[in-house]
Amino acid sequence: MKGLNLLTDFSKKTGTKLEPKNIKIDDTTLRDGEQTAGVVFANDEKIHIAKMLDKVGVHQIEAGIPTMGGDEKDAIKAITALNLNCSILGWNRAVVSDIDDSIECGVDAVAISISSSDIHIEHKLRKSREWVLDSVRTSVDYAKKYNLYVSVNAEDASRSDMEFLLQFARTAKEVGADRMRYCDTLGILDPFETFMRVRTIVEIIGIDIEMHTHNDFGMAIANAIAGIKAGATYVNTTINGLGERAGNASFEEFVMALKYLENVDLGMDTHLFKELSEYVAAASGRFIPAWKPVVGSNLFVYESEIRASTVFKNPATFELFGPQDVGLERKLIIGKSSGVNTLTLKLKDLGYIINEKDAFELSEIIRDKSLALKRALFDSEIVDTYKSYKGDTKSKGGK
Amino acid sequence: MTAELKDKKFINIIDTTMRNGEQAAGVVFSKHEKLRITKLLDEIGVPEIEIGTPSIGEIEKDIIREIVATKPKAKLFTYCEAFPENIAHAVDCGIKNIIINISTSDLHIKVKYGKNRTWALNQLRETISEAKHSDLDFIISAEDATRTDLEFLLKVLYLAQKRGAYRFRICDTVSRLDPFRTFMLISTILNTVDFPVEVYNHNDFGMASANALASLRAGAVSLVTSINGIGEGTGNAAFEEIVMALKYIEEVDLGIDTSKFREISEYVAKASARAIPVWKAIVGTNVFAHESGIHADGVLKNPRNYEVFEPGEVGLTRQLVVGKHSGSHTILHKFKEFGIDLTSNEANELLAMSRAMSVDLKRPLFDKELMYVYKDFLEKKKSAKHVAAPDD
Repeated sequence: MKGLNLLTDFSKKTGTKLEPKNIKIDDTTLRDGEQTAGVVFANDEKIHIAKMLDKVGVHQIEAGIPTMGGDEKDAIKAITALNLNCSILGWNRAVVSDIDDSIECGVDAVAISISSSDIHIEHKLRKSREWVLDSVRTSVDYAKKYNLYVSVNAEDASRSDMEFLLQFARTAKEVGADRMRYCDTLGILDPFETFMRVRTIVEIIGIDIEMHTHNDFGMAIANAIAGIKAGATYVNTTINGLGERAGNASFEEFVMALKYLENVDLGMDTHLFKELSEYVAAASGRFIPAWKPVVGSNLFVYESEIRASTVFKNPATFELFGPQDVGLERKLIIGKSSGVNTLTLKLKDLGYIINEKDAFELSEIIRDKSLALKRALFDSEIVDTYKSYKGDTKSKGGK
Repeated sequence: MTAELKDKKFINIIDTTMRNGEQAAGVVFSKHEKLRITKLLDEIGVPEIEIGTPSIGEIEKDIIREIVATKPKAKLFTYCEAFPENIAHAVDCGIKNIIINISTSDLHIKVKYGKNRTWALNQLRETISEAKHSDLDFIISAEDATRTDLEFLLKVLYLAQKRGAYRFRICDTVSRLDPFRTFMLISTILNTVDFPVEVYNHNDFGMASANALASLRAGAVSLVTSINGIGEGTGNAAFEEIVMALKYIEEVDLGIDTSKFREISEYVAKASARAIPVWKAIVGTNVFAHESGIHADGVLKNPRNYEVFEPGEVGLTRQLVVGKHSGSHTILHKFKEFGIDLTSNEANELLAMSRAMSVDLKRPLFDKELMYVYKDFLEKKKSAKHVAAPDD
């Protein structure tokens, strides 16, 4: 990154047109998603999630780790037996016996994972770079004999020496790997660094690249997009961004960002997003935050005076896509940040017409109430407040 | 223009937890809470804080007055739309710095105000002159700037500069930007006008933090953030993510006391009734929890294998979780903590039992449950000879 001239280097290259047919989703909810500390899916849940992912249109499902055996193996076998439209991939260490387990499960694709950073090679594997390349050769060669689609995962690619990472990619390509997964294992990339590193691999080695990003600094989506702009063709996503630590690139955010920011429509059935998110949330025991991008329940809920009264006149003022696109609803709630216009609109919705003077006074009362209750008001509370206000003004008027 | 941020003299943070954060649908902070949040932000070294919108009404004004009276080190701001009459409300609160907001996109000018560009510029002039009359410092904020005709946006910026604004705020109101587009936009603006610019991001596509950092690379000097990223819709750039990303990705240390991050996040989460997801970047309790065999083993050998910074730095602790994906190293380590030294055969056997229990329960095991597993194991061992489970 040092001294790189961003204006000239990036402005030209990021202008490259992205083609929907060149971008594929490999969803890892069932593998990295389940690997999240505290998350365990039941086998029935895994099968259901796989069916939903297929229906929504993902290209590949990373179904699990066959070599874990037991239940895990049963689930993967059950998923391959579904004969879904999408490819089913099993995760492996760069070990032949792992690949045998994958073959036994009937998957059509394998990810063969091994660290490429010196820090991992030295402190985790306690081996050498040469040993890593040998393991890649042996395991890819073995998998290719069984006609499997092979992704070689460069774990901790972001902290890997670039020269060695290129050697790693070249070795993978030479022994017939179909793609290399670039794993930002610790989530330490930023989009510019991502762009540069991925672009370098694509240009020099010319192997298909898959982006596996983590959200430790909140940049998983931006880095996935940067990878795609640099020429990567696969993205490893999870529903709700489930995944180890701060999670992975969220499927729904990535698809919508591509569609609405980059004008690339992957043809996913976005209407199913909310349902899919809710199912995975329930199965993983991890709620969907109300403010979660794309599928949070609060996204199309408006309270503050100016924003709310403007958006109901023309949703395009504050929305790039509508709630119906992702299975949500647009709602108006009344609370501390609301005012005359929003209150008038709300009461009209509830069947009451209010004049401007009344709306002004009533909105003051409602603001106080909201502050006292520390929340927005329920519809019934708004109606009650309105009625008692009307009663008050009537009795005052009567005197 | 280069990518380096390290040489930057100063990057400002202006926190909007209590203004746009509170504007999140359903969120209301009490006076007590706002006073506390101000104190916490001030203590850890946030330079500027937005504390509210005086035109909302008397109660809001009272709260603002009380916060102003606490005289924090941080510079305090209130927020208003560009209507001259709003200035009196700010003055009434004893505030010295304000943000004057105006929508600059044609769509907003037409739908939100029902007016045209000429009206918007005039509105800004009149509000500014009122603010200057009252001796207020002001930031001019361009709402929906990222869907604004660039020529008109520059016109607004020139006006702000000419009339003595303190800074100019570019709002990505509908999250129209990605980091590359952010970089191009901010670079273009700064190549045309030399003026301090800050960027205000929304997180509709999960890119608020990345866009914020991209704008700094392009030369912006200030970012608008909120604790936990709380804000309207999907929220804003999260304060804790920005500070840590600057420190560990860009090597820029803002000198903010990060050890209180978890505490502040928890406080804002409680006050806003919005729980911190366990997987929240930087402050989620799961960020330093390791379950899978490979990761836990890697962390035990050297935390740097899977962690960029120490959990204590943000007020968290590291946890090893025993569950379906655990490996025998985690078991060995866990029991060592309990004061029990296992052989690797014993660890493998306990691992198989723990995994089975975890799958059955659909969750990882509590330490207590691990001890139950151990007891069962000892009984089993006593009652029958056993065959060691295979090592994977």
